[in-house]
Amino acid sequence: MSQTVLQAEGLTKTYRSGANSLTVLDSVSFSVTQGETLSIIGPSGSGKTTLLGLCAGLDVPSSGIISLMGFKLNAMSEDDRAHIRNQYVGFVFQNFQLLQTLTALENVMVPLELRGEKNVSAKAKDLLSRVGLAERMHHYPTQLSGGEQQRVAMARAFITDPKILFADEPTGNLDEENSGHVTDLLFTLNKQQGTTLILVTHNLELAQKTERILRMRGGKLVDQLSKAAL
Amino acid sequence: MIEYIIKLKRKTSNLFNDGWVWRMAWRDARHNFSRLFLFVASLITGIAAVVALDSLNNSLQNDIDRNAKELLGADYVINTNHKFEPELVAAFDSTKVEQASQADMASMVLFLNNNQSRLIRLVAFDGPFPFYGRLETQPADAYERMKSGRFAMLDASLASQYEVSSGDSLRIGNIVFKVAGEVKRLPGGGGILTTFTPSIYISMSELDSTGLVQYGSRVTYKRFFKTDSEAQAEKLVEDFRPLVRKFGHSYETVEGRREGLGEGFNAIYRFFSLLAFLALILGCIGVASSVHIYAREKRDEVAVLRCMGSTGWQAFNIYFIQIFFLGVIGSVVGAFLGAGIQQVIPVVFSDMLPLEVSFSISWVSIIQGVVLGTLVSVLFSMLPLIAVRFVPPLTVLRSDFESVRKFSKSRLLAMVLIGLFPLLFAAYQTHSLRMGGMFFLGLAGALGLLTLVAIGLLYLVRKFFPANAAFVWRHAMSNLYRPNNQTRMLMVSIGLGAFIIATLNIVEKSLLSQVEFTGQENQSNTILFDIQPSQKDGVIKLMNDNHLDVKQVVPIITCRISEINGRTVDQIQKDTTDRIRNWALTREYRVTYRDTLTGSEELLKEYKKNDLVVKYPAPKLQSRKLQGKVWEKLTDKNIEYYPGREIGDSVQVELAKSIDSVYVTISEGMTDELQVTVGDTIVFDVQGIPVKVLISGIRKVDWPKDPPNFIFVFPTGVLENAPQIFVATTRIDDQQVANRFQQQLVTLYPNVSLIDLRLILSTINELFDKLGLVVRFLALFSIITGLVVLAGAVINSKFVRMKENVLLRTIGARSRHITGITLIEYAYLGLFSALTGLILSLGGGWLLTKFFFEITFAFDWVELLIITGGVVLLTMVIGWWNSRDVINTPPLQILRKEG
Repeated sequence: MSQTVLQAEGLTKTYRSGANSLTVLDSVSFSVTQGETLSIIGPSGSGKTTLLGLCAGLDVPSSGIISLMGFKLNAMSEDDRAHIRNQYVGFVFQNFQLLQTLTALENVMVPLELRGEKNVSAKAKDLLSRVGLAERMHHYPTQLSGGEQQRVAMARAFITDPKILFADEPTGNLDEENSGHVTDLLFTLNKQQGTTLILVTHNLELAQKTERILRMRGGKLVDQLSKAAL
Repeated sequence: MIEYIIKLKRKTSNLFNDGWVWRMAWRDARHNFSRLFLFVASLITGIAAVVALDSLNNSLQNDIDRNAKELLGADYVINTNHKFEPELVAAFDSTKVEQASQADMASMVLFLNNNQSRLIRLVAFDGPFPFYGRLETQPADAYERMKSGRFAMLDASLASQYEVSSGDSLRIGNIVFKVAGEVKRLPGGGGILTTFTPSIYISMSELDSTGLVQYGSRVTYKRFFKTDSEAQAEKLVEDFRPLVRKFGHSYETVEGRREGLGEGFNAIYRFFSLLAFLALILGCIGVASSVHIYAREKRDEVAVLRCMGSTGWQAFNIYFIQIFFLGVIGSVVGAFLGAGIQQVIPVVFSDMLPLEVSFSISWVSIIQGVVLGTLVSVLFSMLPLIAVRFVPPLTVLRSDFESVRKFSKSRLLAMVLIGLFPLLFAAYQTHSLRMGGMFFLGLAGALGLLTLVAIGLLYLVRKFFPANAAFVWRHAMSNLYRPNNQTRMLMVSIGLGAFIIATLNIVEKSLLSQVEFTGQENQSNTILFDIQPSQKDGVIKLMNDNHLDVKQVVPIITCRISEINGRTVDQIQKDTTDRIRNWALTREYRVTYRDTLTGSEELLKEYKKNDLVVKYPAPKLQSRKLQGKVWEKLTDKNIEYYPGREIGDSVQVELAKSIDSVYVTISEGMTDELQVTVGDTIVFDVQGIPVKVLISGIRKVDWPKDPPNFIFVFPTGVLENAPQIFVATTRIDDQQVANRFQQQLVTLYPNVSLIDLRLILSTINELFDKLGLVVRFLALFSIITGLVVLAGAVINSKFVRMKENVLLRTIGARSRHITGITLIEYAYLGLFSALTGLILSLGGGWLLTKFFFEITFAFDWVELLIITGGVVLLTMVIGWWNSRDVINTPPLQILRKEG
């Protein structure tokens, strides 16, 4: 039986503004097992990005429990959650979110350096070669195209061999050709490294490549569909 | 539900063993130095100002200590304003120490090479003065030539102004002197006084032959002594003390001069300290503001690092390391720049300093500057950098996400330290916690008032801004009230600069208006003094011949006090409990006689004595004697003469006792020095004849207005036959007429001196220009700091502005609309900032002129408008410059970002 890497129980997120409150996520529960691929879809404002943020420990729920790799994130300090992210989590964002002052190689090295590991450049170079950027590793983000930047971001996400990778609209800012290339790369690396993949996307075609789809609407989880059902 | 906290056991690193933060600090900084330009610029200017002023202070103090003897030129000096008494001269002669003499007085000089004349200070030397220091002349033997006969030396500034050189001739009194050379530096001389009255030097043996020393001439005599040791000097002081005190002379010792100068420089030191304090605080504001901008820009990167597992402290440390090292570099640059500026300041102010300030590097000041700069950069960047710790990682997903501000001990500690810093720094600078506290409170008060004015102004503008104004004007106005626009802070910061400049301008105008005669019709601007009675008619005729209006001809009689309220000067001097000042008791008084007030006088109508109000009628200020008729009126409590019916019996009796007195009035202020009041009696020694007077009134005198003014005014009918000289005043507007008249006057009446108030006015102007340079620099610095904050605010609000502009563009606004709105917004901001400063400066200027300078408040609207215009223009330029990409960014680029 596969190990559960992510467990959400009754996740609710409410924002308060004076006397008013707005519930953007309402009692969402689900779990994800090791190596599984899952996408979260839904219209704008349905709460999918909020859910991703909570699952990755970027924010804490107003109520409910979120457990990542067995750690209860909502009971941890921000710095402890950062430590968990560094140990087990990788991210790919729609806007790439590369550090503009670092080269592609340096960007990729950062997560391992943060762990205090030495001699990390060899692994970073290897990953950059695997994503097809061996010749561009000393370039700065501004010198790279959108597709290239996203490939650097993926190399950075996979360098720690994360147990779980969160991707927020990974192809949202890319053209069709680059989009296909990045998607292939994402699933290839996922398979090679046995990483759990959680995607947030509007792109149904991309969502259909995952094993399971969570459909969100109005802050609620309205459907959980398996690939077979789709 | 039970809430619990899980603490992970994870390896934590501190700043010094976390190699990653050092690597990241370098990687991030290597392309970011330009972004920290504002920070380094603020720090460099603040530290440069502090180090420059501090090292100047150190140099001055060292030079005073080192050159104390040269400042006096001797070990001991006795001064008097009349010839030394035979008893004293005999005492001088009985000592075995080396001596020299000096006499100086005001006189006219006529330069024969160009027929120009002016008032100078004539200094006559006898003996081997100076005993210490060097009298620098050009040529080197000029002093020896001067001593040998009818040769004169003159101050270098005077020589260059009138293009006089060695070999030329000049006439002083009845004698023509050949110019022996220029005086470059004279021990004990120089300083700011030479700016007003440049000197000409002759031999004492030639002084009498000039014919200038006559009755009424104001001559100061000095006797210099050189001793072999300090003990001998002290003994000399003790030996001469009784005689010096008896005759009312003053004396100076090396220690006294050093202390006096030290006290004088203490005031300057405090002023410089205040300037340094302000400069540093402004620098601190600049540092805090620029680091705030930097930290805001780094927000997204921090969020990414947090996503990847960086702790809040690690993110903080990355930028802290950058700021620390740039702070050290900026401090070193600022400290050396300040040391460089310190080398220039003495050159600029050389005319105003009585000693040559050495060109030395004050390493103590430099080290202090580096330490201070590092401390400032760390302390004032702490708050914005601590904010980095709390950047939520969720920002990577939602750029507008703001975390709930948490309580932080480090933030609280930083705020306490920042609050304490100005107080401690000011106390350190002034070497006094009390003075430091006053500086601190003064600054806090000024900033508080500026904030209040800014709030009030913004409230009023919003309330009364016309609702039907054009769209561009309305929109620009509403931009000022945009959340996080920092409008109030900008108004305070830029307003502080405008306040300093405008206050300086107001004080300058008020001071100048005291001597500003050229603009006022019928006011005298030329004073002729030392006119002998035999010359009076001739001088008046000469004035008439030149078609000059004789405004006043005032008689002057010299006299001394011999008794106050029945006690002789000797008795008063021996009474140690008495608070009467010795100088006021023994000095020579120059009095006049008349029965009326002049335009510069006001009778203080009420005066309290024994808790009774005594009122004196204005027309009879000074009356010769109380006639029997008056006495009857007094006993009858006649309301015409004594309308204050509060007069009591005791006063009546006192007045009655002095029935045969001469009634004189005294100027306000001297009553304190002499400890006298209305009803008191004084006996004057007028050229050997005792004249008993009763003080019948106190005049408030506006001294600079309509001179000459007097401490004591006698009634007519008393002093007409006493030896006297005259002062005449007139008004000359045409420079050619002035030159011609001066030449004729010097030729016909060489002993008569002439003061051209216009010349004094231009000298004061020149002085203000130099002093103003320092203050204007500071004000400009303040405005630049304000503009740094402004640039930061523009950068901070850049994205909000871009979105607004995109919206405006999509609904049809053209580039000129966007540009117009931007420019008008900054024009408003500049205008309101300037107004904030101006409103406060008018209040502050009024307080300063009324209570500190005690002069009439005056200001020039045009110049204040120019200041306002300048501030508006600068604000518009900086605002527009930083908004160019906001104005020019295509809408689609923003819409895509938003999407």
